[in-house]
Amino acid sequence: MLQCIFLLSDSGEVMLEKQLTGHRVDRSICAWYWDHAISQGDQLQPVIASPTHYLFQIVREGITFLACSQVEMPPLMGIEFLCRVADVLADYLGGLNEDQIKDNFVIVYELLDEMIDNGFPLTTEPNILREMIAAPNIVSKMLSVVTGNSSNVNETLPAATALCVPWRTSDPKYANNEVYVDLVEEMDAIINRDGTLVKCEIYGEVQVNSHLSGLPDLTLSFANPSILDDVRFHPCVRYRPWESHQILSFVPPDGQFRLMSYRVKKLKSIPLYLKPQLTSDAGTCRLSLLVGMRNDPGKTIDSIDVQFQLPPCISNADLSSNCGTVNILSNKTCSWIIGRIPKDKAPSLSGTLVLESGLQRLHVFPTFQLRFRIMGIALSGLQIDKLDLKNLPHRPYKGFRALTRAGHYEVRA
Amino acid sequence: MAPPAQSQRSPSPSQPSGKGEVSDLKSQLRQLAGSRAPGVDDSKRDLFKKVISYMTVGIDVSSVFGEMVMCSATSDIVLKKMCYLYVGNYAKVNPDLALLTINFLQRDCKDEDPMIRGLALRSLCSLRVANLVEYLVGPLGSSLKDSNSYVRMVAVIGVLKLYHISAATCIDADFPAMLKHLLLNDPDTQVIANCLATLQEIWTLEASISEEASREREALISKPIIYYFLNRMKEFSEWAQSLVLELVAKYVPSDSNEIFDIMNLLEDRLQHANGAVVLATIKLFLQLTLSMTDVHQQVYERIKAPLLTLVSSGSPEQSFAVLSHLHLLVMRAPILFSSDYKHFYCQYNEPFYVKKLKLEMLTAVANESNTYEIVTELCEYAANVDIPMARESIRAVGKIALQQYDVNAIVDRLLQFLEMEKDYVTAETLVLVKDLLRKYPQWSQDCIAVVGNISSNNVQEPKAKAALIWMLGEYSQDMHDAPYILESLIENWEDEHSSEVRLHLLTAVMKCFFKRPPETQKALGDALAAGLADFHQDVHDRALLYYRLLQYNVTVAERVVNPPKQAVSVFADTQSSEIKDRIFDEFNSLSVVYQKPSYMFTDKEHRGPFEFSDELGNLSIGVDAADTVVPAQQVDANDKDLLLSTSEKEDGRALSSNGTAYSAPLYDAPASVPASQIQSDLVNLTSGLPGHMPAASLAIDDLLGLGLSVTAAPAPAPSPPSLSLNPKAVLDPGTFQQKWRQLPISLTQEFSVSPQGIAALISPQALLRHMQGDSVHCIASGGQSPNFKFFFFAQKAEESSNFLVECIINTSTAKAHVKIKADDQSMSQTFSTLFQSALSKFGVQ
Repeated sequence: MLQCIFLLSDSGEVMLEKQLTGHRVDRSICAWYWDHAISQGDQLQPVIASPTHYLFQIVREGITFLACSQVEMPPLMGIEFLCRVADVLADYLGGLNEDQIKDNFVIVYELLDEMIDNGFPLTTEPNILREMIAAPNIVSKMLSVVTGNSSNVNETLPAATALCVPWRTSDPKYANNEVYVDLVEEMDAIINRDGTLVKCEIYGEVQVNSHLSGLPDLTLSFANPSILDDVRFHPCVRYRPWESHQILSFVPPDGQFRLMSYRVKKLKSIPLYLKPQLTSDAGTCRLSLLVGMRNDPGKTIDSIDVQFQLPPCISNADLSSNCGTVNILSNKTCSWIIGRIPKDKAPSLSGTLVLESGLQRLHVFPTFQLRFRIMGIALSGLQIDKLDLKNLPHRPYKGFRALTRAGHYEVRA
Repeated sequence: MAPPAQSQRSPSPSQPSGKGEVSDLKSQLRQLAGSRAPGVDDSKRDLFKKVISYMTVGIDVSSVFGEMVMCSATSDIVLKKMCYLYVGNYAKVNPDLALLTINFLQRDCKDEDPMIRGLALRSLCSLRVANLVEYLVGPLGSSLKDSNSYVRMVAVIGVLKLYHISAATCIDADFPAMLKHLLLNDPDTQVIANCLATLQEIWTLEASISEEASREREALISKPIIYYFLNRMKEFSEWAQSLVLELVAKYVPSDSNEIFDIMNLLEDRLQHANGAVVLATIKLFLQLTLSMTDVHQQVYERIKAPLLTLVSSGSPEQSFAVLSHLHLLVMRAPILFSSDYKHFYCQYNEPFYVKKLKLEMLTAVANESNTYEIVTELCEYAANVDIPMARESIRAVGKIALQQYDVNAIVDRLLQFLEMEKDYVTAETLVLVKDLLRKYPQWSQDCIAVVGNISSNNVQEPKAKAALIWMLGEYSQDMHDAPYILESLIENWEDEHSSEVRLHLLTAVMKCFFKRPPETQKALGDALAAGLADFHQDVHDRALLYYRLLQYNVTVAERVVNPPKQAVSVFADTQSSEIKDRIFDEFNSLSVVYQKPSYMFTDKEHRGPFEFSDELGNLSIGVDAADTVVPAQQVDANDKDLLLSTSEKEDGRALSSNGTAYSAPLYDAPASVPASQIQSDLVNLTSGLPGHMPAASLAIDDLLGLGLSVTAAPAPAPSPPSLSLNPKAVLDPGTFQQKWRQLPISLTQEFSVSPQGIAALISPQALLRHMQGDSVHCIASGGQSPNFKFFFFAQKAEESSNFLVECIINTSTAKAHVKIKADDQSMSQTFSTLFQSALSKFGVQ
């Protein structure tokens, strides 16, 4: 079980220390960790064996969450818990950064106190935590000024723990009942230099933002659930209806949550193509890139950009494009920001790369990473059929959105 | 009147401050302590915040302890929390002052607000000061009966904290029994989960000294309790679910129907959003079906999709942990994943450690149908910017080549690598081509043609250079200018820093000399001279050996240095199958991430809660338990299954090949060789060579580990050398433990124990006295009926050569399962016979 949690700033300073068991973990472990992290660079593994402890670490927004253990334990329990801590803190503090944590360290202590005791994770459910410890938001600040009650701890204990739906706030009341369902998909693809699709897969999430009074019962169904390859559910989803009819039946938590995540594999069509051409001769290399629409998704593709790492043997590069901007950073990372594809021309980038002296031809080739975003469509083809709500006094407002963006979308040269 | 969270920024805690500020704080706190003025809470809060922020950055503020306690009389819960935090941090170093806090904490434990009761109790238990435990018992006892579940939840963990401060107090107050009652009756699942965690820890630690505790621990994994948990599974929080699943994994269902019931009940856990729950479920499924080959295979099919989704859904850190587990499964049953190879393709910006795992999986799943695509993919990586990755992928291509029968295409690819003219690619490829030639000598023509064109000046890495030189020597008759290349290398002897290269150079020039004497004679002379003058001992010795050999007789020298070689059929694996099995038993633990069984990297004291604490050998319980619990099912295992652990598989084969009931060998010999032949080989090896064939040394180690089944040995064993044991042997437990870890298992056997013996084995002591009569001494024993476990040792009479034995006797099956380790491996067979005869006499006379 976890023995101690440290929060480190991006300079390695210990911002917070929470001892969980009787075996005190000395702070010196952080110094060891920091040296190790520097020596390993980006090869640093999430689970590290230090001379005295086993360390779990995750880094979020420059802040390192470090947990120590001396006993054998499920590694995912440690990592997953740290991820939840990071999520909850970001949620409470409205983002994660050094100042936020230092200003609110009392809240962080309070939260950790409720989330884990003696090394056993207790509850990481944001709704329950919110009922025990109020978030430091503007409203509570105003309220405390007006009412003179300055405590950020709620007077009553959450009743939810005793209910059979622990994820839900006991009895929320809203004037406007509304629920939003978003399909957010990320497309991972590998495309070879000749344009063949090596692998194409979509990882998607159904995100729900629910502001509904009472104890509503929701049913969400898809028009084509059969395309889903594998699914994972929020604990609120009932398993049987999915098993028999592929229907998501659930009592939602209050606020934003991830209802379901899924994977769709073996997709055949990709929205964008990128054609790289590299010809090298006598110490120089001509590079040209063409980007264009492969299969029109029917909605605008925006935020397009291309990133690639120039091979280390290139001493000089001169690149220009007919639209968008091209930047070459000092670490030889090159980024070409296109935005939207203009109507009148196909975006292209061309230029020459000068090789280091002594090299005639280029032997290593960069991989181009493409990023884009398409609003209004889920590229996997998944469609929401309908959303039914029961147990509600008024007709709520229902909203649906879809979004696809590039995950690991890469083209090899 | 602002809440502390966003109050006027206190001076940044990161600025170090001296003693002055602390004493300043002290006086300010003192002023506030008695004040009842309105708004005093806010000033207190600012001060408290300052104190805590100093504490957080590591400044010692223990000197204000008294003042903090004085100020703690407040109804403000945030102030209380900060105070609890402070007190918890400094009480251990200030036990006397901590006494001051007891009073107000005890009062808070009776507060009407359950939150305050809970928090106060938590802080009270977190003081961890031994001389204050007497104040803990009362509040804990009443809190366990509190009407509010939050307080009970805190109290349960409080009991564990108390146990760690003073075990005796905890037991005397009868807390475990109260927890057991809560465990079975509390309406709140979080309380139940905490009870479970606490009881597991307490009873495991108590089990070594109290029989009752170990009975209670066993009772936790009894059918009614397990079913009680399973039925409420969905009510538990996700973390509690992982805990319960861990517990269920230790339960042994009585029949297959029960197994299916459990799996049906838990199948939806595979789709849980929390990765820890999913992995715990997978572990449970794998454990449950270990003895049911077909179902086990179906389980693999079922868990594939959830695992792959987990890999792609979480943060990179989660992905890595899941991938490590996937890696383990893929390595165990590559065939089942062979159609999913595309999932193991590496993305450009993944961290290297992830790519490395993926490459290993790609290598493992390669088979006839997908090799072409996998190798094409790997070649893409080889041309990539990322150099370590390029190296790894070339190695992967080589590994695939070595495990395939149809290597045409791969050899072409490898040779193309050599034409890429990148030094690191060339270097890696050369090493691979060398290995490939050792396995497939028929490819020598094609390879030699390309290798011959490589200028040795372009190869700098010692391993690659050594490989090139080996090929030059081995194929000198086919490579036109081999002698001249070797000659030029020898001219630069002084510049060659790697002794490995120099050793290879000596051998290569010898081989070349045997084939093309006139052209090589001069180079050989130079090499021997340079070798003899070398400062490196090995190089010098080898040169001298060659020189003397040549002086004695050239044909003999050739027979020694360049005998006809057999193609290597299998390259030894770096990890033994036993270790792999053990890692598999520890699925869903750190072992998988480190790719080492836990006994290799954790100290005994920090081992997981369910370890037998009286155990000496630290060897996995999982294997032993499986062996003793399901012997009947093991017999069903047959050769075809690829999922069962190797040891079980070998058991099955041995049973079917010689048709006797007693045999438990562990060997890694090629399956095509009849067992009897191996056994006779073994006899030759054990009696003759101590094992000096470099390429096969690992295999020989394993051959030595092959247990000749004593009762039914088909091979004519040579009359064993006599062995007498020292009746007064001594060995202290530390040494035993160390030796047990160091030595490989030289024999694993199972034989039956006479019914009289079983009858006499009412307690372990009876057997200990008996074995002592045969000069076999016991160092530790334990266990409950029907499983008894013993660790014995014995010493040879004349010299201090030790034999170590782990013996598990199952009284219900009347079988003894024995593992023998010995300093002198060659004697272990003899010792085993002696041990067995001693054991068989037990209870007879």
